[in-house]
Amino acid sequence: MRRYRGGETVLPRGLRFYPKKRGDRRTGSGRWGRLGEALFFTVFLAAGIGFLALVVITLLVPLWRLNNDFAETSCRVLDKRISEEPGEDGTLYRPELEIEYQVKGRTYRVWAYDIPPTHSSGRDDKQATLDSFIIHNDQNNQLYPCWYDPLEPKTVALVRGYGWMPLMALIPLVFIIVGGGGLIYTVLHWGKSAEHKAAAGLSSRETFPNIPDDSNITNSPGTTLDFRLPMATSPGWALFGVLMACLFWNGIVSVFVAIAVNSHLEGNPEWFLTIFITPFVLVGIGLVFLFIRQLLITTGVGPTLVEISGHPLHPGDHCDLFLSQSGRLSVNSIAVSLVCEEEATYRQGTDTRTESREVRRVELYRREGFEIHRGLPFEAECELDIPADAMHSLKADHNEINWQIVVDGDIAGWPDYSRSFPVVIRPASDGGQA
Amino acid sequence: MTPDTAPSENPFSTRRIRPGAVTFLFPEGQSCRGLIERLRRNGWQGEIVGPHGSGKSSLLACFVPELHRAGHETVRVELHDGQRRLPLKLRKLGRLSPSTVMVVDGYEQLGPWGRFRLKFFCRRRRLGLVITSHVPIDFPKLFDTVSNAETAQLLVDRLLEGYERLIDERDVLQAYARQEGNLREMLFDLYDVYESRRRRQSSPA
Amino acid sequence: MNASDIVIQLDGKEPAEGPIVGRSRSYEPGEILSGQYTIDATSLGGKELSAVEVSVLWYSEGKGDEDLDVHEFWRKSTDDGDFIDPMRPERFSTTLPRSPLSYDGLIVKIRWCVRVRAFVGRREIVAELGFQLGNVPPPEEVEQ
Repeated sequence: MRRYRGGETVLPRGLRFYPKKRGDRRTGSGRWGRLGEALFFTVFLAAGIGFLALVVITLLVPLWRLNNDFAETSCRVLDKRISEEPGEDGTLYRPELEIEYQVKGRTYRVWAYDIPPTHSSGRDDKQATLDSFIIHNDQNNQLYPCWYDPLEPKTVALVRGYGWMPLMALIPLVFIIVGGGGLIYTVLHWGKSAEHKAAAGLSSRETFPNIPDDSNITNSPGTTLDFRLPMATSPGWALFGVLMACLFWNGIVSVFVAIAVNSHLEGNPEWFLTIFITPFVLVGIGLVFLFIRQLLITTGVGPTLVEISGHPLHPGDHCDLFLSQSGRLSVNSIAVSLVCEEEATYRQGTDTRTESREVRRVELYRREGFEIHRGLPFEAECELDIPADAMHSLKADHNEINWQIVVDGDIAGWPDYSRSFPVVIRPASDGGQA
Repeated sequence: MTPDTAPSENPFSTRRIRPGAVTFLFPEGQSCRGLIERLRRNGWQGEIVGPHGSGKSSLLACFVPELHRAGHETVRVELHDGQRRLPLKLRKLGRLSPSTVMVVDGYEQLGPWGRFRLKFFCRRRRLGLVITSHVPIDFPKLFDTVSNAETAQLLVDRLLEGYERLIDERDVLQAYARQEGNLREMLFDLYDVYESRRRRQSSPA
Repeated sequence: MNASDIVIQLDGKEPAEGPIVGRSRSYEPGEILSGQYTIDATSLGGKELSAVEVSVLWYSEGKGDEDLDVHEFWRKSTDDGDFIDPMRPERFSTTLPRSPLSYDGLIVKIRWCVRVRAFVGRREIVAELGFQLGNVPPPEEVEQ
């Protein structure tokens, strides 16, 4: 008798459909595709290594030797000039000084300034550099420090230090990371099906099938408690979304409004257009109000932070919760609740409907009638008790059970707000419900 | 497919109301076989037209097996949510028998080029083409799916067979009115009503 | 032949058929589910029983499209050289996973079952027996 271990999610169908409903979707690249990918990343990696070698040899090594190996001596300045060379965006300049110095009884006379020799834009500051050096003559016996290469005394510089030059090495590093990472990924997944790729690294799925991934929660440490919870939807993005909708809708409607208004002003009113456009204008006004409301919430109500002391969570667990609410608000009430929602998605024909239903709400904290001052966030701690009979979080293709910490604020003279912070509840760790 | 042998606690759950789970209710004097005959007279071209939730997909669920029984193969395509292109490569369909009928659910989603390509493909290979749409296109009419309160009641009666009658005629009428004749949404509405009453009944007093 | 000709029994769990009542046919995550199935040979009507599949799976129910996941699957097929004796009960056993637990939600429900599919001639006969995994109580409706 043959035995197969499961893990394959099958979507039941009432009828046979042609296999690909959502367009021509590749589930895995062919051999040539993978070869192309490997070649692409190899080129990136090679370019990065080559460029890095160039930066190391021509820049980093000379700089390091200048600052660590070169010996110091004194020199006198015999002459000065500004060297020029053409650049992409104009002429580039470098200050150069003819200096004379002694090494082991031998006199050297060379033109030098920095190592490696670097030309850059801005003639004036090069001139200012030259002006800071005085040419040696009978009236002036000024000596200046310089550093020479003991292995090659003719190589000398009048300035030391690293400056910003070593940052050039970051550029080839980007190529190396992209190329090397992509090549490793391509090689590791060579010959694997999409299902095999999806199964790789899903150890928590094998331990807890159909439990959502909680890495988004555990990868953000808190400042007061262990974990800072991410918000479900950033208020900034919500505001952006409403703004885009408002601009898009009113942008289109305004064209027709302008035509209608013009027609009235010219004494030849377009009544059909005027009546037709009216409901669209009303919707546009509604969107403006919605945007203003969202703006007030986003700007008036400052960031809401929620942190918890333990994760993952299980039924019956007890941990601490920390709340911080910023802004300048007169608060009627603020409440923190643990909420469970079921979500079901149904597709039929051209319709897709997703329905959410709140099935549990446990109030964890409430405070009423207080002020929050700008620069002094309101902070509170409370206990987060997961009900012992709680259903765990669930994620399947069309059905979900989601748990969230919800902060509801009732603000005097301001729109109410509600901010959600998803959490993941796993089945009880001992395998049974408490 | 979850077999029908597994009982649902709610007769309006999706596995019981999805197309194919419930037999399509034809008006008196009409049947699937009659549709096949009409399709044949129209040169194997036809459109099924009706508003959202009026049963077009449910009709296809009984119509397609009837086509198979009549000796025709089918290639079924379902277009969702503004999908403007066919989700398959026509040239990759290979050799199709001349009695094949292409069935496209949600045809009006296709863009002009997609429609042209599909019609040209079917004409060139002499294939039949049956489409569903919310509005009439330019195909011979095969069937208009319309919903009315009587059909809604018959449908609910059929779904409630073998279940406790926690839904009465007034519930059906109210749900039908609330959803403005959309039978699918009416059934979802009744799901909530039934679920609420079932729980109240089973919870301890 | 029809579904009633396939009888599925779970070891130590009563009642052996019908809806799950209370804690009957109830398991904890990690517990071993074992049992047997029998096929009434007289119902075959001379047709060949070519294959039998047994699955332990969960499926969703409610207002969303159905999801289904197979936890364990066994197949016996004469094409593969297996000998299928409908007179003899066939046993199965598996260790149940830790999730998802059985759940009677408002719009999302999770059901577990053992399903036996028999291939007789060109027909497929399916029978299944539901069981409860875990002990999550149904939620109460929250005022919207």
